[in-house]
Amino acid sequence: MISQLFILSSKGDRLVYRNFRGDGGDDVTDAFYRAVTSLPGDQAPVFMAREGQHFVHVRHGGLYVGATTTADTSPFVLVEFLNRLVTLLREHCGTLSEKSVSVNVALVQELLGEMVDFGYVQTTATEVLRSATHGEPETTKAFSLLDLRSVGLFGAETQQSRVAPGSVTNRPVLPPRGEQGGRREVFVDVVERLTVVIAANGTPLKVDVQGEIRLKSFVPGACELRMGLTEELSVGTEEQCGYGRLPLAAVAFHSSVDLEEFEQERVLRVTPGPGEVTLMRYQLAEDVAVPLPFRLLPSVEWEPAGRLRIHLKLRCDLPPKNHAINVVLQLPLPREASSLAQELSSPEQTAELQGGGRSLRWAIPRCQGGAQLGAVFRVQLPPTPPLGLGPAALTFELPALTVSGLRLRWLRLSAPPGAPPGPPQRWVRHLTHSDSYVVRL
Amino acid sequence: MTDSKYFTTTKKGEIFELKAELNSDKKEKKKEAVKKVIASMTVGKDVSALFPDVVNCMQTDNLELKKLVYLYLMNYAKSQPDMAIMAVNTFVKDCEDPNPLIRALAVRTMGCIRVDKITEYLCEPLRKCLKDEDPYVRKTAAVCVAKLHDINAQLVEDQGFLDTLKDLISDSNPMVVANAVAALSEIAESHPSSNLLDLNPQSINKLLTALNECTEWGQIFILDCLANYMPKDDREAQSICERVTPRLSHANSAVVLSAVKVLMKFMEMLSKDLDYYGTLLKKLAPPLVTLLSAEPELQYVALRNINLIVQKRPEILKHEMKVFFVKYNDPIYVKLEKLDIMIRLASQANIAQVLAELKEYATEVDVDFVRKAVRAIGRCAIKVEQSAERCVSTLLDLIQTKVNYVVQEAIVVIKDIFRKYPNKYESVIATLCENLDSLDEPEARAAMIWIVGEYAERIDNADELLESFLEGFHDESTQVQLQLLTAIVKLFLKKPTETQELVQQVLSLATQDSDNPDLRDRGYIYWRLLSTDPVAAKEVVLAEKPLISEETDLIEPTLLDELICYIGTLASVYHKPPSAFVEGSRGVVHKSLPPRTGSSESAESPDAAPSAGQAAEQPAVIPAQGDLLGDLLNLDLGPPVSGPPLAASSVQMGAVDLLGGGLDSLMGDESEGLRSDVGGSPAMGGSGFTAPGPAAPAAMGAPLGSGLGDLFDLTGGVGTLSGSYVAPKTVWLPAMKAKGLEISGTFSRQVGSICMDLVLTNKALQVMSDFAIQFNRNSFGLAPAAPLQVHAPLAPNQSVEISLPLNTVGSVMKMDPLNNLQVAVKNNIDVFYFSTLYPLHILFVEDGKMERQMFLATWKDIPNENEAQFQIKDCSLNADAVSSKLQGSNIFTIAKRNVEGQDMLYQSLKLTNGIWVLAELRIQPSNPSFTDLELSLKCRAPEVSQYVYQAYDAILKN
Repeated sequence: MISQLFILSSKGDRLVYRNFRGDGGDDVTDAFYRAVTSLPGDQAPVFMAREGQHFVHVRHGGLYVGATTTADTSPFVLVEFLNRLVTLLREHCGTLSEKSVSVNVALVQELLGEMVDFGYVQTTATEVLRSATHGEPETTKAFSLLDLRSVGLFGAETQQSRVAPGSVTNRPVLPPRGEQGGRREVFVDVVERLTVVIAANGTPLKVDVQGEIRLKSFVPGACELRMGLTEELSVGTEEQCGYGRLPLAAVAFHSSVDLEEFEQERVLRVTPGPGEVTLMRYQLAEDVAVPLPFRLLPSVEWEPAGRLRIHLKLRCDLPPKNHAINVVLQLPLPREASSLAQELSSPEQTAELQGGGRSLRWAIPRCQGGAQLGAVFRVQLPPTPPLGLGPAALTFELPALTVSGLRLRWLRLSAPPGAPPGPPQRWVRHLTHSDSYVVRL
Repeated sequence: MTDSKYFTTTKKGEIFELKAELNSDKKEKKKEAVKKVIASMTVGKDVSALFPDVVNCMQTDNLELKKLVYLYLMNYAKSQPDMAIMAVNTFVKDCEDPNPLIRALAVRTMGCIRVDKITEYLCEPLRKCLKDEDPYVRKTAAVCVAKLHDINAQLVEDQGFLDTLKDLISDSNPMVVANAVAALSEIAESHPSSNLLDLNPQSINKLLTALNECTEWGQIFILDCLANYMPKDDREAQSICERVTPRLSHANSAVVLSAVKVLMKFMEMLSKDLDYYGTLLKKLAPPLVTLLSAEPELQYVALRNINLIVQKRPEILKHEMKVFFVKYNDPIYVKLEKLDIMIRLASQANIAQVLAELKEYATEVDVDFVRKAVRAIGRCAIKVEQSAERCVSTLLDLIQTKVNYVVQEAIVVIKDIFRKYPNKYESVIATLCENLDSLDEPEARAAMIWIVGEYAERIDNADELLESFLEGFHDESTQVQLQLLTAIVKLFLKKPTETQELVQQVLSLATQDSDNPDLRDRGYIYWRLLSTDPVAAKEVVLAEKPLISEETDLIEPTLLDELICYIGTLASVYHKPPSAFVEGSRGVVHKSLPPRTGSSESAESPDAAPSAGQAAEQPAVIPAQGDLLGDLLNLDLGPPVSGPPLAASSVQMGAVDLLGGGLDSLMGDESEGLRSDVGGSPAMGGSGFTAPGPAAPAAMGAPLGSGLGDLFDLTGGVGTLSGSYVAPKTVWLPAMKAKGLEISGTFSRQVGSICMDLVLTNKALQVMSDFAIQFNRNSFGLAPAAPLQVHAPLAPNQSVEISLPLNTVGSVMKMDPLNNLQVAVKNNIDVFYFSTLYPLHILFVEDGKMERQMFLATWKDIPNENEAQFQIKDCSLNADAVSSKLQGSNIFTIAKRNVEGQDMLYQSLKLTNGIWVLAELRIQPSNPSFTDLELSLKCRAPEVSQYVYQAYDAILKN
């Protein structure tokens, strides 16, 4: 069970604190902050036993969301709950930041009161909390339609959202009470994460695609939502995977999803309340040949006097109409490099040494499908015998594309009776981002 | 309304301002003011001064405002108990409110106010709320009982709330059931004996039904409660498993893990032959693997648990190696955990894949991770023999990189590989030597020095290399110093001619210039060994070392079994049982796995960890496996072969005096504790080379140096007797308990040497071989002086008699009873443990005769409270017969007196550890043929008297 719960700013200031079981002093947040900042690098920070207390925390948006607990508690309960809490705070406060939390302290306290009683988690369901709480969120920034240029996906920790947090979905899920209007919108995202290891000879050693379909609804009240998925979908080994099929190794659905039409039509039906929910998680079968978005062709030469000449050719194998953004290549170097000379093919690309010269970072803001980018680097290394470089790691985002090919064919909404006229706005977005894309050299 | 004003610092006027706002007529203004107060309170400012004003706002129909006021009350009521009473009326009224949300809020808040006066008023409303028509109120009330119990347990019992709570387990609403279960579980923890959670098949059935319907968090309460249930038989266990299994596909990882915990526990009861067992096993893997795509924090917790599960049941995940491959963007703590699991799953089938991965990891940027990866390669080599060659060549490649920390780690693991596969990979030594200069970490330096010493005969310039280390001897860490000392001694024994100077140098550095007792003692031991008997020194120092085991990194089986019970608690993250990190007494209940029922017990493979049930049958299980391994791993001082000879005539160096004299005083009389300190010091290793005092000759074999003859007082016709009394053999280890090996035996002492006479009988159907024996530490440091020699394999139904010479130079630990000896015997089948009591007289040494004057002085000197009196009835011997019989067992009569017709004998004896025991024996003829003896014993260590008396009794009655 949870004894105390707290949210601290990145500097250790207490934003929210709640003592559920009336034991322990008020100075736990200080003790926690001391412990977490003085932790040796090789120790895991998630759980810490300090001064007779057990701390658990997760970090989101620079904040520490943590709790103290007793020894017989399930660590999964704690971590899962803290993650849910983060999601709920996002839903209720719009974004999770020092500012948004401190503005909404009263609301957060009210939510906590309903979510946890005497340290026992009672509920984390948005609808239930909605009916039991009365506070109104205070938004930190007025929402503006003009802000669409930086559309980011809500929960997804994409490179993009890290750089420029999209604000379309960064507002409280619940419209202010009494205002029927609000903006009625539904977002459905198909997000895939790509884990790839490519051997030095160019053959893929491991290709792993994990995906999920997420729904975030800003429509008050329940409305039925139907969505059609790619028809080629097949699950498990139940049928022969013929040409053009899209076999999934594992699929899990949220308990609210009605699968009546899934077997035949590949249609998901769900009646969501306002809030965010992951409808479906899937994993692509291992033996499916997924077109890899990038190839790396390196050549490395040792020049006299400890200079290493690295010629990298990066080929983007996406269809020409697609593109990749925020491509970053990280190449570990065998020794601390003291200087870097670079020849890049376009001015918006950048390259620099990182980690005290232990790795090379090449950033490409945008890369069209079919393009081939070349770069030559010369690094000065301490004189030592030659040895291997790498492996190179790529991070990127592929907007409007799912590597598996799973797509939403259509999305229909039927409004509940008594709803204001006009269908709610629907947004469907597809995205792939690299989870771990490693090329060995 | 913006935020910034909530967070301005508390100025003097601010409280005043808030006060005014709180007392405002306008509702909206009031609410904003309370919000400001709550905001200040949350960040830790003291706003308790506003207590009366805030409480005044309590009477409101605005639920949001009411909640905020209640929150304030919870926080400050304890510091202002008198004021808090003002709120009671409102609470009681709110508990009757038509709105269920308000009723629940009131009862929830009251439970959180830990003020006695308020608690009294809580009882009536709580009783009503427990029977409320609204489930939301009932579930809140259920938790409130636990709160009240925490404040005043007696009150809860007196008011009968526990029974009401028990009734709620049958409630129609699953969330109420779940909270009732949670509350009862918590209350039951503080009443371990009570039968609060009366779990029986019927109530379990109710819980399982509620499980399907309640919220995810409620499911966890119910599953955790189920885990404490002990099913009647395997059929019930199976039916519960069947109903819990669907939870494995839940989206909430906490539900999944609570389900896994229940399944892992109940599986213990299922027979392994069952089809269902296999099916269940298969179902456990996917949910665990799925967790590895969750947030890093969850991954970490999952990996820590998986780490335990793969040790207990490697079969669950043996095909899932790939999911544990490290992703480059994993946080370091996830990477390290994955690495650990990869090694645990490594086998011949997947080793190539694993090695390829590890080699890639070794070129990464993160230093900690790279180090661990290099170590992992070494562990692979030790674990999977077929891969050793590839591992070594991989390590050599890595050494070629010359990256400092990679080279150092590689050398440390190569040392271990040498220990595991001697005489196989020594060709790489040349490469290692090239890197000598770059080693700056103690562990790597020590490893390299060990390698140089161990293979000195193959390294031409070994003396130069070691000499170069010796230059900065005093700046090295202890680890390196000890290795250097040992290595140079090894070198000297291998190449005595060229290295005499070097060895003298290191010995004097170690013994004279060092403040470290470990180093000094080791130095003295080598010095004495080398100076007295170089041949023996060679045997000791260059003894063949036992191979190291691949399982050194495993968690010890009994601990593992305990940890498996704590899967899904913090213990599984820390890998320590709660007793190791929970302070105070709260809720530390030792858990164990249920014993397996059904017939498959004997079919279980021997490598399966013994179930707790078996362990409980043998309370005398001595060394935890880890201890044994610890002893085996002891690096330098091979097994205690024999006490170092102490032929005084050949001792030349002054150091010996120091040893003899210094330690003598340490070991005399009552200094047992000190002695074990010496023996147990880490530098001595597990074998505890307690330097022998003057008593040591007694432990030597029959061929005694001529110079020692005069030490023995041979007067009194020792020779006429055939040695000390030997008890008949008894069965120490019945065949039933040792897979067919029966051991019976006794102890004897002949001319200064102690023997353990054993009869090993093979009552199994297979041939037994590879016998070995080891003693646990014991009160007098008894240890085998030679390995257990069974020359031929023991065929079924055969017996063999062995006389195992013992010495008393082993490690010392006080046992209870004092003469308890715990023994481990190993053969090709398994390791068996038994314990036996040895008669104390085997420890009575031959020079135990005290001078008359000395005896008188000592007798007076020992305080009277140390005197113990015993009766030996019905002895058929007269005084002379008693005297000569006792002398056979080294109890020496110093004087004899006749007082009023009674013979008085004054006797002395000495134990191997130098403890003197003085005795006065009064012989009273009771009837013509029998005498009664009255024995008074005086000793500086009175705890031995009891056992000395037992020895007297045994000797005289036989």
